[in-house]
Amino acid sequence: MMPAWLAALNPGWLMILVGIAALFIPYRQVRQVLTVGTPIAAIALLVMAPHEVDLLTAEALDITFSFYRVDSLNFIFGLAFLIASLLNAIYALHTNNPRQDGMALAYAGAAVSASFAGDLMTLFVFWEITAITSVFLILQAGTRAAYFASMRYLVIQILSGVILLDGLSYVWRYNGTLSLEAFQSFSDPGAIYIFIALGIKAAFPFMHNWLQDSYPKASVVGAVVLSAFTTKLAVYGFARLFPGFDALIWIGAIMTVFPVFFAVIENDLRRVLAYSLNNQVGFMICAIGVGTAGVGNALALNGASAHAFAHIIYKALLFMSMGAVLYRTGTTKASELGGLYRSMPWTTLFCIIGGLSISAFPLFSGFVAKSLTMSAVAYEGVSDPAMVVVWLMLLFASAGVLEHSGIKIPYFAFFGHDSGKRVKEAPFNMLLAMGMAAFLCIAVGLPAIIPGFGYQWLYSLLPYPIEASSYQPFTLEHILTQMQLLVLATFAFILLKRFALYPAEKPGTILDTDWFYRKAGYGFVQWSGTVWGKMGPATSTLFTRLSERAYKRLESAFSPRGEIARGGLSGGASIWTAVILAAVLLMSFLSA
Amino acid sequence: MSNDTTPPVRDTSGRFVKTAAEKVNAMSRTPDDGIHPMSRVLFGWTEKKGIGGIIFWGMAALSIILVLLDLIVPRHEKIGIANAVGFYALWGFAAFSFVVLMGWPLGKLLRRDENYYGDLSGPPADIDPAIADRLNAGEPKAFEGEE
Repeated sequence: MMPAWLAALNPGWLMILVGIAALFIPYRQVRQVLTVGTPIAAIALLVMAPHEVDLLTAEALDITFSFYRVDSLNFIFGLAFLIASLLNAIYALHTNNPRQDGMALAYAGAAVSASFAGDLMTLFVFWEITAITSVFLILQAGTRAAYFASMRYLVIQILSGVILLDGLSYVWRYNGTLSLEAFQSFSDPGAIYIFIALGIKAAFPFMHNWLQDSYPKASVVGAVVLSAFTTKLAVYGFARLFPGFDALIWIGAIMTVFPVFFAVIENDLRRVLAYSLNNQVGFMICAIGVGTAGVGNALALNGASAHAFAHIIYKALLFMSMGAVLYRTGTTKASELGGLYRSMPWTTLFCIIGGLSISAFPLFSGFVAKSLTMSAVAYEGVSDPAMVVVWLMLLFASAGVLEHSGIKIPYFAFFGHDSGKRVKEAPFNMLLAMGMAAFLCIAVGLPAIIPGFGYQWLYSLLPYPIEASSYQPFTLEHILTQMQLLVLATFAFILLKRFALYPAEKPGTILDTDWFYRKAGYGFVQWSGTVWGKMGPATSTLFTRLSERAYKRLESAFSPRGEIARGGLSGGASIWTAVILAAVLLMSFLSA
Repeated sequence: MSNDTTPPVRDTSGRFVKTAAEKVNAMSRTPDDGIHPMSRVLFGWTEKKGIGGIIFWGMAALSIILVLLDLIVPRHEKIGIANAVGFYALWGFAAFSFVVLMGWPLGKLLRRDENYYGDLSGPPADIDPAIADRLNAGEPKAFEGEE
């Protein structure tokens, strides 16, 4: 039995505290032990924590705060965050950067703490800490682009926090509680604010561009760390607070489709991965929207959680492989890469495993996770024709994922046109982290030949494990249909390549919604500045002249030397004033 | 290794371990030409002559087999149209082709100069120090805001 203080220790808090301490530890070896050891200790703490109990509470201002509460929904998110944090720490072992080590650990800790929060205020506090800690990971890149991107990132993340605070104030004012109960409709007090706040972090369409703007500009290690936490924390928030909201179905479906088109023309492969992240989160959001609608309930929420778990690992793996390429070659631009499999065969292999996983090939993690969502949506499609459209959109996006993450990333970085770059293989610690992630991608995706292992292990961690255990992803028809989709899509790639119909990778900036604030908005502010610069002096001159003139008029009338003060007129005026006053008083006295 | 002169009467298991260790060591080092020995093992087949044709026709054959299998394997789809023979195959092929072909007009429409936002900069600070010096020559080390 654990001592009480240890049982009440939120693994996220432990990571934040160690992360802050790591900032001030100059000895590299000590930091390495801490960054790798803390996530392991945190996983142990989490696994031993009892479920559905408030493990740490505090009371202030008549509000009960619950700092640490584990249940079947947040357990899997917390576990995925901790595994990601461990992989990140191993991936970063070759670096010697206290700020990056500390902030990466604290950022992961904040995401874990936020997912184990038992009330909205605690969620808000750690929500903000994720924003503040993560911005340093972008800044660590040290470039001009990263500096400005990090400032934009910070503004948007803090905005999300402020809107969340606004929403929870409404909840507190009208419900008198801050508990994490799911909303029933958008007309609930505060619901719409909290929805928008989560939506910004989940990178909803039109709010998505902070992600593609900042992640690809982060440092090699930073981008890997960033890919895991913020968006998936928002996914958890939606699963907790907005399950079964129909709006999420459509938002999610659109999110899966539109990034596909940007990814195909994008040249920076880390930015392609950022679009891919958007598309994957769309699947989860869509599943949460299906959430409580009928029998799909358990299936859909299981789907979102399983997808989040698998996604955190394979997306980290893909970012790691591109990070390794960036580390050795100094670029991730597809137009400058190609043929790297000669120099980096292990990285190539791991990247391909990540690509197969995200594309949901059978025997890889994406297959067993995405199947749940697809089945839940198809189940709804029986009674609702609109859901057939959603299902077709998700299927379309599945082919799109194969295009940008399954084929484009490995093909243009490691194969394709030989760039002539001959570099060293990635450092051993990077390969180790990638190898571990690749192992998990396969281990979780295998059929349960030994009961309880393979996909059954993942399913046993889901929010509704009993319902999950009756779901069978490895049926002949399912494998066949998935292989048809993927093989024919791959064949389309080969065909398009053969007939030179595949657009060549070209350097350039792809416009997206950030244009509105980076060009149009910035331009407007600059224009206003110029206009004000010219108008300011003109208006103040005008104002000075007008007031001068008015002063002169008044002075000439009322001053001791003025018109009114002159001659006998003033005596007569005072008598007349007295007479009128007496008349008014008399009338009011008589009428009263 | 080939120039190993140890007499064969010696402890053979020890020699096996030694050879294996040397082999692993050799396979994990990149020689000066920059071609990793493992790349031949893992991806040497991609350099074979005529591999493009083999992949093309292999995939074509696999595609046809998968569609034909649809006639044998019974399917119980929730969504009506998905029961059609080769539905997934067609949808996958069409979706993929559409996305890629849309890349032509979208690229024309949305692609701007690399320095469109005026913040074009080099790689991040934490790349391999061996290449960082070459790439960042003359550029200030870290950017921490305008002067």
